[in-house]
Amino acid sequence: MLKFILKRLALLPLVLFGVTALLFSCLQFLSPEMRAALYVKDPRQLSQLDAVIEKYGLRKPLPVQYGIWLKQVAHGDLGYSETAKMPVADAIRSFFPATFELTVVTFLPIMVVGVFFGVLSAVYRDKLLDHITRFVAITGYSLPSFVLGLGLLMVFYGRLHLFPPGRYTLDTDMLVHADSFRHWTGLLTLDCLLNGQWHAAADVAEHMVLPAATLLYISVALLLRITRSSMLEELTKDYVRTARAKGLPERAIIRKHALANALIPVVTLSSLLFIGLLGGVVITETVFDFPGIGRWGVQAAQQLDIPGVLGSTMLAAFLFVIANLVSDVLYAVVDPRIRVGD
Amino acid sequence: MHRIFLCGALLSASLAPAARAAGPVAHPDTYTYATISDADSMDPAWAYDSASDLIILNVYDTLWTFSGASTKIMTPLIATKIPSRANGLISADGRTYTIPIRKGVKFHDGTPLTPEDVRYSLLRFMLLDRAAGPSSLLLEPLLGYPSTRDDSDKMLPHVWEDAQRAVTVRGDDVILRLPRPYAPLVSILASWAPIVCEKWSIAHGDWDGTEATWEKFNNSAKEQSPLFEREDGSGPFKLVRWDRRTQEFLLERFDGYWRAPAKIKYVVVKGVNEFGTRKLMLLNGDADTIYADRPLWSQLQGLPGVQIIDDLPTMENDPIVFFTFKINTVGNPYVRSGRLDGDGIPSDFFNDIDVRKGFAYAFDYKGFIDDVLHGKGRQATGSIPASMPGHNPRQKTYRFDLKKAEEHFRKAFGGQVWDKGFHFTIAYNTGNIPRETICQIIKRNVESLNPKFKIDIRAVEWPTFLDAQKDSKLPIFVLGWNADYPDPHNFAFPLLHSQGDYPPYQHFKDAEIDRLVEQARLETDPEARRRLYYKLQAREYELVPHLNIVDDLRYRTQRSWVHGWVNNPIFPDAPYGSYFYTIYKK
Repeated sequence: MLKFILKRLALLPLVLFGVTALLFSCLQFLSPEMRAALYVKDPRQLSQLDAVIEKYGLRKPLPVQYGIWLKQVAHGDLGYSETAKMPVADAIRSFFPATFELTVVTFLPIMVVGVFFGVLSAVYRDKLLDHITRFVAITGYSLPSFVLGLGLLMVFYGRLHLFPPGRYTLDTDMLVHADSFRHWTGLLTLDCLLNGQWHAAADVAEHMVLPAATLLYISVALLLRITRSSMLEELTKDYVRTARAKGLPERAIIRKHALANALIPVVTLSSLLFIGLLGGVVITETVFDFPGIGRWGVQAAQQLDIPGVLGSTMLAAFLFVIANLVSDVLYAVVDPRIRVGD
Repeated sequence: MHRIFLCGALLSASLAPAARAAGPVAHPDTYTYATISDADSMDPAWAYDSASDLIILNVYDTLWTFSGASTKIMTPLIATKIPSRANGLISADGRTYTIPIRKGVKFHDGTPLTPEDVRYSLLRFMLLDRAAGPSSLLLEPLLGYPSTRDDSDKMLPHVWEDAQRAVTVRGDDVILRLPRPYAPLVSILASWAPIVCEKWSIAHGDWDGTEATWEKFNNSAKEQSPLFEREDGSGPFKLVRWDRRTQEFLLERFDGYWRAPAKIKYVVVKGVNEFGTRKLMLLNGDADTIYADRPLWSQLQGLPGVQIIDDLPTMENDPIVFFTFKINTVGNPYVRSGRLDGDGIPSDFFNDIDVRKGFAYAFDYKGFIDDVLHGKGRQATGSIPASMPGHNPRQKTYRFDLKKAEEHFRKAFGGQVWDKGFHFTIAYNTGNIPRETICQIIKRNVESLNPKFKIDIRAVEWPTFLDAQKDSKLPIFVLGWNADYPDPHNFAFPLLHSQGDYPPYQHFKDAEIDRLVEQARLETDPEARRRLYYKLQAREYELVPHLNIVDDLRYRTQRSWVHGWVNNPIFPDAPYGSYFYTIYKK
């Protein structure tokens, strides 16, 4: 197992190199003028377009630019992101914890609700519970996140004056930026608790309720559907029939036999969901004014902020490799017949 | 992202008012402005965007500023008097300005402000001269050239010597010596080159003010500047924090301000990209004012506790329809065949005055103002906006008249345009609704004249737009211009002079226009200048290098408990952003 994990981790630099090389080769389709758009945003700056191209070396051949960038990376410098207005490494350190916190808060409920109701839906097939679950899954899957997000915002924040958008209130803002506040983990809720600031922790948590609820509803739908269909498939297999014929209690059949097998596709899907959430959820972050990594990544792409795009893509690739590795390991945990590395 | 905007607009339109309309003022010590802009830098010599300049306006003081809502009357700030010929502080030849500096002013760290700080600030503003930055605004009047570098990015000789000659200190006065008279200089200094603390800047690693290091300082990277996210100005507010992660600025009142302290204790300027969210923040009292442009106006009507202040003049000319006089037809899909054969246009298509006049008469100015701007605006009569001195309100202009348009198209290219027809593409940058509508109006009206006239419209992203425009590939392009300072020169030069900002891309040059722009720039007598600008606008009408569409009127949305706001259209981000000094909540 360890050998397998190390082998996969050893491939990581190669994956990152491949991703960035691919991105740079795509850039050759953009002229220097197009790439200067990152710095020339106002018609008042048009007359200095050439000066901008010269200053940022945008006329240099792309292999040369890639070489310069790789050299920088080798020295631990990922470049400067114009959209984040900070070095790329700082941008990742700034934006990622918020997204990670939101992901952690959202992912556990997604798993619990998705698997639990997916199994129940399969067990009580065509009963009222199944119908309700399927309705929830279909609406959740088909409802655009910005509609749901704005709807929730209007009801809870607009009408009930609860769960405001943003990251925190001004009071918490002052508190977390005070010299006495220690950032132990980078996860704000946890840091507030570790600093003994219960009110601030509650404030930060309150700001995460609506984005988390939106993500939960949108994401749980798919998991619910997959769990249900996987479970249904297992429940019709011969070994389940045999178990029933042997007189095993239904609960034991479901828990000990069918569920373990039904979880394989669920593990795959949940790892993809986890990556999706960690990579940032642009729409939700935009609607709730939540400063996560997805919003930055999209802004960087829209404005052709090359270091920003490279940084966020490398992070996404890294997460993808790690999540795949974790799901491979989990397969073996869920089903001991699967031997990792085979 | 566009979908979110539309959906947000629709959903928020359907929201029944549930605002905290009555009752106590929310967050009485804090004024919050929710906007969409993301600032670039807090360094006054670098920043050239309204989001950054809004904060800089409130944390730094300039030598003088505009009085209240006026763009003509000024009030001294760091200077005790505003130079003029009448008070003798501008020499008879218009080339020497004497600026007496106020005593008793302190920077935010307590350091007293001296004339040396003013000299350092002016030199710093000019010599940083970053690519596409604001330094040319002072370089041109004080040194006589717009950049410290030539076209190949090499440093010009004598820059340091010229700068030393231009800005000196004599006792309590700062003396400016110009190579030639420059009428708009007083206006420029009211908005640009605010005063930074020399001692603090040097202590924090900024340029040390010496000849030995200025070339290294010149065009340096934004993030290297210690003033990028910190400040030591002398303005009414201190910058507590710029949180680039949450796109939020926190300003705190400076109690040691040389005038009475500001009325509000904290100001928060926060980037919130989604309109629906901004609107809800306003209704809940978590924002006191929000950015919302004209297409969103109807959704903000009748909200309880929310006030709309409308019909506010602007200092901009936007949108403008530019014609390219010499189109680059090589590999250019916008001109199709590149010939006047009914399936394209030739390179010199818009060089023909009748083509340009045909387009000028075919545009429905009133329809655009009524439909897109809800009737809020007047048809522009020239490049110089109505809010600006030198604007001629009685200047003859083009009215929507399809018969006259037809007359001109029939005459164009000796009748060939009418007989053969044409086909080309107009581009606008994606996401700008007024500019898109302009393209549609042009297409609809021009195509209605002759079935052989065909115009396509293409929305392009800003990088693609820049690329095509740089190569003069766009036959028609729609952009705009915002004032740097309230002087007609700031419109006349960039929009009409052959070395301005747009004419080089259009390949437009007229010796008479160039002469009038230059002459008006040197002329310091207001009446003589007015006459020159009137002549300039008449010449512009005659030549039609572009179409001026509207003198726009804006509106501001704020909570009713906000008081003391004054609209000065020259302030950055006006009328949404503002000079916070006078604002209070009650």
